[in-house]
Amino acid sequence: MPEGDSLVPAIELRDVTASSGGFQILSGASVAFPEGLCSVVMGAAGSGKSTLLKVAAGLVVPDSGAVSVGGSDLARLTRKEELSFRATTGFVFQDAALWADTNILGNVAMPLRVHKPWMGESTIAEAARVVLHKLGYDEGMALRPAELSSGEQKLVSIARAVVNDPAVVFMDDPTSNLDEDAAEKVYELLAELKQKRRTVIIVANSSELAYRFADRLGVIKGGSMAAFGTYDETVGRAEAALSGSLARLRARGSRAAARSDGAENSQRGDV
Amino acid sequence: MIATLGRSARLKAASLLYSLGFFYNVLKETARFFSKSQVGYKVLILQILFTGYEALAINAIMAIAIGAAINVIGSSLLPQFGQSQLMYSILIIVITRELGPLLTAFVITARSGTAIATQLGTMVVNHEIEAYIAVGLNPISYLVVPRFIGVVVSMLVLTIYFNIFGLLGSFIVVQVIKPTPILEYLGALMSTLTVGDVASGLTKALVFGIVVSVVATYQGFSVNRASTEIPVAGIRAVGLSFILIIVADVLLTLVQYA
Repeated sequence: MPEGDSLVPAIELRDVTASSGGFQILSGASVAFPEGLCSVVMGAAGSGKSTLLKVAAGLVVPDSGAVSVGGSDLARLTRKEELSFRATTGFVFQDAALWADTNILGNVAMPLRVHKPWMGESTIAEAARVVLHKLGYDEGMALRPAELSSGEQKLVSIARAVVNDPAVVFMDDPTSNLDEDAAEKVYELLAELKQKRRTVIIVANSSELAYRFADRLGVIKGGSMAAFGTYDETVGRAEAALSGSLARLRARGSRAAARSDGAENSQRGDV
Repeated sequence: MIATLGRSARLKAASLLYSLGFFYNVLKETARFFSKSQVGYKVLILQILFTGYEALAINAIMAIAIGAAINVIGSSLLPQFGQSQLMYSILIIVITRELGPLLTAFVITARSGTAIATQLGTMVVNHEIEAYIAVGLNPISYLVVPRFIGVVVSMLVLTIYFNIFGLLGSFIVVQVIKPTPILEYLGALMSTLTVGDVASGLTKALVFGIVVSVVATYQGFSVNRASTEIPVAGIRAVGLSFILIIVADVLLTLVQYA
């Protein structure tokens, strides 16, 4: 896992404020998500996690501040540049946000139809089936989203976000609405993304997800970043100011120690 | 008081500028629509099917009834003034220039205007629009332009269709009052019909189609976050479209006759 200050930021927010419906949600949020790492941002309900993620992905235009992608201002991208940014990113919405008038295959295939139409319809459909199967979705491809459970919708949403093998994946609470088996499939996918050194930016309520995958852990409070750093830095720094998920992570102890225990146990098992 | 008025005027001006910007973007994206391979073609075909094809029956029934009514009224009134020969001119003017595009626009507003506004509003609330942006599809070019083109094309075709069926309805009544061979009836109509009549009706159809589609899509996108805003968007789309259609009709008629 690459560490240190020399990391290149994939997405950087500088002093961003954002509002919705007359309410200020982000107030001076600054954070740099490093390239090739998995960053997890946690925070209480209503703290601005989802808005932070949408601003970072260019889905919400900030009132002030700047968002840069690979050094370029996201707000100043040309149409062509924005299209290539979209071709290399995927977004998982908190509430799935599947297109209701399009069947499951159509939902998952859309990023490929838009960015890689040269693949041909049959190859695109096969790619969509493969990623859905990997996530444990075994229902019909011709079904409409309304015919699925909320957990299945979430899996389809995740499949849609990664089918194009994007360099950056934004995930808004990817394991919400999922049963444990389905969540485990998502964890397997996250492990694969980490292995492929994709930039993964997750906002989540799940301390399990942060514990297992966060290379960088952030905490958002009152619309601004209260902490952002390596897992141990953040868990160590924020315990006085935060409760809930962070307190639970702190209670689990050092992740490095747990991993070394696990390695020892598995070695004992091998003997 | 003055500050409140000033704030209100500023908000109205900002809203007007925003809607003009929306319209400009729709026109700009429309110009690009056919110049590249488009995933939006399916949306366009579905829109033409819904707005044009599925409205054929109601439009035909309405046109036949209106054509018949004009003929019944004209046949009883005009002979009293010795002006029976004006029947064809009145039919052409009323149906082709005025009621064809106007009533077709009302039908399209009631059916497709509300459907478009509520559908887009629902998509906003369900974050489907954001999902389109996330995969690189411009909501204006993918969602608005196919609806814009679909409604305008359907409006033009349905207006022509209304004219044909309106004149057919009139012919049916003619057979009851004063049986006339169809060739004679059509000959009289064609000798009265001018290019100006057709151009006038189609110009109105074009403008009304633009009004209905832009107002409906704009109102759909104006939904912010609550599902309770969706029916309001539908109602606003209908109300505003009706007003703008009537205003446009008066202005176009003034331009043609002034």
